[in-house]
Amino acid sequence: MTILLTDLHVSYIQKLGESKSDLAYHLSSHLRLNAVYWGFTALNILGRPEALDRDEMIAFVMSCWDDEAGAFGAHPAHDAHLLSTLSAVQILLMQDALDRVDAPRVVKYILGLQQPSGVFAGDAFGETDTRFLYCAMNALSLLGRLDALEEPLPVNSQADGGSNAVDTPVPQTRRERVLEYLSRCRNYDGGFGSVVGAESHAAQVFVCVAALAILGRLDLADVDTLAWWLSERQLPNGGLNGRPEKLEDVCYSFWVLSALAILGKVPWIDAQKLEEFILSAQDLEVGGIADRPGNMVDVFHTHFGIAGLSILGYPGLADLDPVYCMPAALVERRGLRTGWVGLPRRSGGA
Amino acid sequence: MPSKAAADTPLFAEREEWADVQPLEQYEGVNPIAPIFYSPEYKDATGYFRAIVQAGEKSARVLELTENIIRQNPAHYSAWCYRYETLLALLPPPAEDADAGAQPDIPPLLAAELALMDELAVTFLKTYQVWHHRRLLVPLARQPRRELAFIQRGLAVDAKNYHTWSYRQWLLAACYGRGAAADPAMPDAVLDEAAGVWAGELDFVDAALAQDVRNNSAWHHRFFVVYGARGQADSEAERARIFRRELIYTKQNIAIAPSNPSAWNYLRGVLRETNTPFAAVQDFARLYAYPHSADETRDVVDLDNPAPGADAELPCVQAMEFLADAWETEAGAEMWKSLANEHDTIRRQYWEHRIRDAHQTIKPAVE
Repeated sequence: MTILLTDLHVSYIQKLGESKSDLAYHLSSHLRLNAVYWGFTALNILGRPEALDRDEMIAFVMSCWDDEAGAFGAHPAHDAHLLSTLSAVQILLMQDALDRVDAPRVVKYILGLQQPSGVFAGDAFGETDTRFLYCAMNALSLLGRLDALEEPLPVNSQADGGSNAVDTPVPQTRRERVLEYLSRCRNYDGGFGSVVGAESHAAQVFVCVAALAILGRLDLADVDTLAWWLSERQLPNGGLNGRPEKLEDVCYSFWVLSALAILGKVPWIDAQKLEEFILSAQDLEVGGIADRPGNMVDVFHTHFGIAGLSILGYPGLADLDPVYCMPAALVERRGLRTGWVGLPRRSGGA
Repeated sequence: MPSKAAADTPLFAEREEWADVQPLEQYEGVNPIAPIFYSPEYKDATGYFRAIVQAGEKSARVLELTENIIRQNPAHYSAWCYRYETLLALLPPPAEDADAGAQPDIPPLLAAELALMDELAVTFLKTYQVWHHRRLLVPLARQPRRELAFIQRGLAVDAKNYHTWSYRQWLLAACYGRGAAADPAMPDAVLDEAAGVWAGELDFVDAALAQDVRNNSAWHHRFFVVYGARGQADSEAERARIFRRELIYTKQNIAIAPSNPSAWNYLRGVLRETNTPFAAVQDFARLYAYPHSADETRDVVDLDNPAPGADAELPCVQAMEFLADAWETEAGAEMWKSLANEHDTIRRQYWEHRIRDAHQTIKPAVE
């Protein structure tokens, strides 16, 4: 049986900064800050945060600051985006350098992306998705500014579809709009989609469930039906897929697994088989984890594979908070831990 | 990651018509943690892009430049954003319709943009920005039928593409749904088509399921069409008719391919939506929840309960799950034990949880 090749993964992540055209394929400037977050979080869970230079990392994050927008882009001189802004906040928090962030400006940027319907856009381009809603909740929470959601959402019309029921009061605060939007994204199978009306998909389920957890409203999910739908993602090979009749993928293993952890139902899947699946997707020579066994590795799947193993209780790993996808100890110190439950950490050598 | 532009395309730096622009180099911090190694073509194009953005130029050549970048890196959202702004600046203002029923002609620039999007969407099917840009163009072009045909072609390439289906749902809701009726810019002719379009969607789903009855996206789309965004206030008789239709439709498809989680999820969804107990359909589910029996008779055709074919693999796990949920707790427990121990062992812990849970509480048969 394969074990987790920690040293190889550490060196894989370290080498991402070096000139390797085949690895660079998986990095492009619009993902660069996200890639740093994926790599650094993985190192933290592996217990090796010092493997990347702290000052260099902080300097890079700050170089992504878009002073016009008051937020972070994915790469120096790139326009600000919500995805990279969240990654920046997460990285700086993990580096104990959150004081470097101009929090009031970032909060203003985030709030400015909320749409009348309650969902968030990712950037000035305006693409809306529950992923961005989650990023907003996550970032505001880490910055200690969820209170900003109590203010009224400035709206002048309900052009994109208002409340369904006649007798419910029209929601007014940003928070109420978010919750209403999430409720409308809930599908007949208990799952959630990217926008209202879209098909249930494991990644979208994760972001919606995690957002509900941050807001303390998991009651808006049909927990039993959804957790069962999530457990049905497990295929005979142990891997998890994103929706019925699709292929397994290591990253879906995280989206599904973390959602189950938030709902307190991780035991509903076969943990040993999933663990074997994730471990079998490692590259035994250069490290890193792929989307499925035999494919090329990348930092995205490396991060989510290790995150999944942490939730499964794999020995020697640090606890990961599935709501924030960050080291659990850090989240707990900030008083943000919610009621999620992973499998107990097994003892023994890694 | 940037793909190579055509080998014989000159760099912008080599082109006379761009000589008036001074490209801006990208700032690279000291000791970058994850350096990106770009092709010369990408560095060249993005250098000119930065210069153009800083100058605020919104001319036709900007469309060429942003297209070049997008082809190399379709995820470059700033290029998409600026392209859209440039289009808006270049397009004539929307004409006032003298005849409210007339569909406006599309300006050539917009037609060209739609054609380009058709091409890029096929190449970059899984890129968010391609789809978002299309959405922005819809209120400008106001030709939803054209978009529906485009989506159909896209699904022929990748029948389960999430973006494609999501785009179809968005388009239908935006142009023919509840909100569309309130939009003063929506031509009456478009709204008049609505009933026909929604009916046509049922045929569309049917065709998709004929290709692959296990296409979860198609089942989801059906639910969206039937119970989602139409916004019609149906009479009780109409709701009952729809319910009967959906039941028969789902059952028939289950009969074709019983081990189909999407169809059974759809069945559950329809029952819940109409507040119908699962037990109401138990006679049907029973036909699928047990092994073939030696004395199966095929003489009597029960239209309300289409039976599995002789070669169907029975028992069907989804039928067992459904029946267990439909029944009182004690009878359900037998099904769950069978699932845990034999038919769905990978989810053993879940089935054992259901058994324990049932022992602790008296659960009503109604969900």
